[in-house]
Amino acid sequence: MVDEKQLKDAVKKTVSRDDVKYVVGYEKGTYGFQTTPCFAYKPEDSEKFIFSPLCVQNLSVFPMLEEKPPLRKGEEADMRKIGVVVKGCDSRAIVQIIQEKGLDRDKVVIIGIPCTGVIDPKKIKAKFPGHIKKIEVKDEDDKFVVTVDGKTQKIAKDELIPDKCRTCEYPTPVLYDILIGKEIKSNKKEDYKKVNDFEKKSLKDKWEYWEKQFDKCIRCYACRNSCPLCYCKECMVDQLNPQWVRRSVNLSENTAWNLLRAFHLAGRCIGCGQCERACPMDIPLMELNKKIEKEIKDMFEYEAGVNAEEKPLLAMFKPDDPEDFIL
Amino acid sequence: MDKLLLSKNDLSKFINELIKKNKVFAPVESNGTIIFEQITKPAEMNLDFCKSQYPPKALIFNQTETLFKFTPGTKAKIESVELDEKKVIFGIRPCDAKSIAILDHAFKGDYKDPYFLKKRENTVLVGLSCNKPEINCFCTSFDDTPASSKYLDILLTDIGDSYFVEVTNEKGKQLTKGMRQFFKTAKESDEKKKKEIEKKAIDMISRHQKTNGITEKLDKIFENPFWKDIAFKCVGCGTCTYLCPTCHCFDIQDESTLTKGARVRVWDTCMNPEYTLHASGYNPRPARTNRVRNRIYHKYNYYPKNYDVIACVGCGRCIDLCPVNIDIIDVVTRAGEVKP
Repeated sequence: MVDEKQLKDAVKKTVSRDDVKYVVGYEKGTYGFQTTPCFAYKPEDSEKFIFSPLCVQNLSVFPMLEEKPPLRKGEEADMRKIGVVVKGCDSRAIVQIIQEKGLDRDKVVIIGIPCTGVIDPKKIKAKFPGHIKKIEVKDEDDKFVVTVDGKTQKIAKDELIPDKCRTCEYPTPVLYDILIGKEIKSNKKEDYKKVNDFEKKSLKDKWEYWEKQFDKCIRCYACRNSCPLCYCKECMVDQLNPQWVRRSVNLSENTAWNLLRAFHLAGRCIGCGQCERACPMDIPLMELNKKIEKEIKDMFEYEAGVNAEEKPLLAMFKPDDPEDFIL
Repeated sequence: MDKLLLSKNDLSKFINELIKKNKVFAPVESNGTIIFEQITKPAEMNLDFCKSQYPPKALIFNQTETLFKFTPGTKAKIESVELDEKKVIFGIRPCDAKSIAILDHAFKGDYKDPYFLKKRENTVLVGLSCNKPEINCFCTSFDDTPASSKYLDILLTDIGDSYFVEVTNEKGKQLTKGMRQFFKTAKESDEKKKKEIEKKAIDMISRHQKTNGITEKLDKIFENPFWKDIAFKCVGCGTCTYLCPTCHCFDIQDESTLTKGARVRVWDTCMNPEYTLHASGYNPRPARTNRVRNRIYHKYNYYPKNYDVIACVGCGRCIDLCPVNIDIIDVVTRAGEVKP
């Protein structure tokens, strides 16, 4: 369990620095099990910061969402750092972006939280569907202690965690400036179970499955906008001239969008699962991401977002890279 | 208004009869989510839900609408599209029905939109009262109730072993013409039961938005830093607007191949920077703050000024599915408290 006092102190200390613009972390949300991103601009703002297994968002998206409005005459750009509270998986996004030179290492102050698994919002909502007023969630070994309106229940973690936590190899942030609490080692291993099972299906079944999924897509681009690695200045689906993907929402264009998104994250997706969490139509986007991740691991022994010094996969070449997929 | 009673055992017969003469759309469970889809038999329906994930407005104001088809080139031929099919939306909630009434204002204002109006005319709304409002439902903040028949042609309310049926207008009467064998005349005690169920549902609603004087208040706080604070966590996706039953902005595009083409109308979202991008490259709403504020102003200021109704029905979809918990109940309530 994360010591919230220690977290608040770290935020307070960070935001008090002259070279820090703000710190982004989590606060209690407006209803039920929600938590929401919050921003500290002054030391006293740190009081609202929390951390619990309900803190599911990957906040490393925020440095990438920074808007740079045109400066007025005589005005200087605010070059101060941004503080970000990250879990293990979230930190990999920052590492990957640094690798890609999307972000300078010295432009972020990383407050790392060793994470013992988060709660899938959809799963917990299904378990407690009512008009919840007061909730508290604590972490206890392999169980979550959930108190809803005064009633406490211990629920096995396996029942509530998303797939990504089931096989998490990096519970402790891989890069941080301040660590809240002690490092946690993982004995879990990514086994690509879903991918392996899916690979056994016939081509026809595979297409049928994905057609059904893509048919649901409403092209709100919540997957893209929640993804810290989707930070292109102009996304190709927004381009007007040429227009790569049509605006019509139908199976063909939806398939184009969803596959392009997945391919564009090849060797870059760090598996935080924000796309799938944000999808309002429940499309299992991580199944696509994981398939690509697995192929890359098999072929190039590469894992995204674990070493800030390394070059990105698509920017490096090794003489012994496999070529057998080249026709 | 006709007040009737439909035994639950007769519901399938009634639906079957509807299917014979109309395209019937009803809530269907698909991959764990409820959506409105065309059904061919009553068993396909799932009536144990609160709201569909995707708003049923899409059956009248489709996300992608072909306006006409054409063949490109010098000998262009234009082909219009068929809009005459009769549709019944069964199981629509009173809030979603109200949203369609709200859309009417926009589509039959200065410019009469033939596509929307034709479909609207050909669609009968057979509603189902909401007995179990969810945590983010707040229709009562707009003086509506989960069992209001005001915007429906027919409303069914589950009162135990039967449905209390209110046929509110001529359209509803026409639809049930020749089907009277399924209905009994309701007794006063049945109506009382409906009122009790309605009251129970109203009491269940736990979240409320303070909308008193909000339109005037928003006039005074347009430049307030409050909006920056609200918008800072917005990631800029279109979930809130696409799932909103009253959002109605669209984009028009020509989409063609070498041999065939169509002019299509697709939903657009004011959360997308492209929405206000001028051909010159200038964007009058350059930042997320401008865009998030616009969503709230359109619903709570511009729309009430133009049409005398707040363009929100309190379905709570935008709250349920916002990836960063931007909560319209909270935003509007807090906007009311901001010091100008």
